[in-house]
Amino acid sequence: MSYFLFIVQSALEDFRRNKMQTFLTSLGILIGVFAVVTLTAMGLGLKKYITDQFDALGSNTLFVAPGKLLGSGGMGASSLLGNRFDLKDLNSLKRVRSIKAITPLASKSGTAKGTKKSEFSTIFFSSDVFFDISGFEIDKGRFFDKRDVDKRAKVLVAGPKIAEKLFGSISEALDKKVSIDNVSFIIIGVIKSKGGGGFGGPDYDSYFFGPYTTGFIFDPDKKFIRFALKTDENIKIETVKEEVKTQMLKRYKDDEFSIVEPTEILSVVNGIFGILNLVLVAIASISLLVGGIGIMNIMYVTVSDKTKEVGIRRAIGARKNDILFQFIVEAVALSILGGALGLGLAYVGILIVQPFFPAYMDFTSVALALGVSSTIGIIFGVLPARKAANLEPVEAIRYE
Amino acid sequence: MIKLDKVVKSYKIDEETTFYALRESSIEIKEKEFVSIIGPSGSGKSTLMHLIGLLDKPSQGEIIIQGRRISGLNDDQISSLRNEFIGFVFQQFNLIPKLTVLENILLPSFYTRKKLEYDPKEKAMELIKRFGLLGKENSYPNKISGGQQQRVSILRALIMEPKMILADEPTGNLDSKTGTEIMELLKTLNEEEKITIAIVTHEADIAKYGKRTIHVKDGRVI
Repeated sequence: MSYFLFIVQSALEDFRRNKMQTFLTSLGILIGVFAVVTLTAMGLGLKKYITDQFDALGSNTLFVAPGKLLGSGGMGASSLLGNRFDLKDLNSLKRVRSIKAITPLASKSGTAKGTKKSEFSTIFFSSDVFFDISGFEIDKGRFFDKRDVDKRAKVLVAGPKIAEKLFGSISEALDKKVSIDNVSFIIIGVIKSKGGGGFGGPDYDSYFFGPYTTGFIFDPDKKFIRFALKTDENIKIETVKEEVKTQMLKRYKDDEFSIVEPTEILSVVNGIFGILNLVLVAIASISLLVGGIGIMNIMYVTVSDKTKEVGIRRAIGARKNDILFQFIVEAVALSILGGALGLGLAYVGILIVQPFFPAYMDFTSVALALGVSSTIGIIFGVLPARKAANLEPVEAIRYE
Repeated sequence: MIKLDKVVKSYKIDEETTFYALRESSIEIKEKEFVSIIGPSGSGKSTLMHLIGLLDKPSQGEIIIQGRRISGLNDDQISSLRNEFIGFVFQQFNLIPKLTVLENILLPSFYTRKKLEYDPKEKAMELIKRFGLLGKENSYPNKISGGQQQRVSILRALIMEPKMILADEPTGNLDSKTGTEIMELLKTLNEEEKITIAIVTHEADIAKYGKRTIHVKDGRVI
């Protein structure tokens, strides 16, 4: 048996005997690592979810939103400001030549009644080009088209998730009536799954999509929350932005609207989650610190308990460093045990929340958890271990 | 082999008072000797034994082991001497309770920095067989008798093939029959293996196993 294995074995012998004490000692680290890993996983997952949403839009896409979207309000604030744009804005933007396609966006949430079930849902009102801009594909039936928009047809395209919920299956939903807040629509198509969903941004699979003109049933003011537009790929996006801006400034002040690319939103999202993650980790680190102090405390008790043993080991030839090493390994093992259990618990926790929340654990969190816990073991194990190593052999061996 | 030259061990109690555990003493233990250090409790014989065993450092004077002055050695070198040169046997046996008999015997071999010319595990099993502990190698110390425990501690002292065994009241926790067995064992080791033996005791019956007796009283060698 090698020297290293021997030291590790010496350090771990007590764990076998004091299972409960060992577990309780590592509990602080367990909770700390659990908190760090879970919170990081949730932050990462949320970020990934949101970025995926915007990634799906692809290039050559722009949003025009009311208010300062990327300003102090952060994203999402614009939706809180309510519907701001109207048909006049749509027509004015349609005159910008570098825009290939444009759709206004509005939404209405309410209880949707199918043949099988009722479910709270949201309709996204847009023009027919929305499907192209957003890269949707049809699964069953058809998208609504320009004629539906012109006719204010009461037709909806359904997301696969909501179609299945309300009608039992996707094919069952086709050509069926669905009533939302007592207005009846015919489902003319079901889109292919866009994935994601559950929290934060739009979950397209659970949405309905209808012509924006039809949406005016719910909104007599005829307002939109934003415009999504596809630009001409032969023209620089900066140029398009300038042209859109000039057009918008005719009616609005500079701070009353924003023109943003999905990538800009992504960088804001990244920024926000960078800070959010840092804050979460900082908070969770407090429990790691408390856990570390717990380990230090127990290690001091262990050193007292093992004074005689240290004396015996020194008498038969153990050096100070052998003793130091043994106690540090014991502290690190306690800490890593807590870290590993915390990691396992976090993994289970993440599996449990995943259906509702896009939590996502990566290798970095695993490495971080184990790295941090062993570092804590070393830091908080050194002082007690030094105390043990510096015991005078003759006094230690006389100790009863 | 080991020489204590005008060694003093004292503790300062306060500014004016100093307690002398051992007053200026000089002794020499030669190779292959069997020496008994005898004295009443509190006489300083344990202090003397701790000094010989390099567990403690003298306040004054010098300890010389095979020509090497201890005062010039650092803690690691002294630890190595304890590991390779001296084997300890204690009154309380001082086995590590959570280690098995075999693991206890092997313990010094894990701490050694010396390249051993033999396999310690093979040697340990050989010793276990020879000293009648076969079948107990995987037992824990609290599952075997006092006499067996003391034998284990002697085997632990022997595993490094030391030049000297230091025994502090080796029979103190044993009944007289078992005590005699342990003493006979030490005597055999001295006579057959030519290992230097120094024992500390307060019992004249035990001391008489030594071929030479050193009397200690009131912190003095007399």
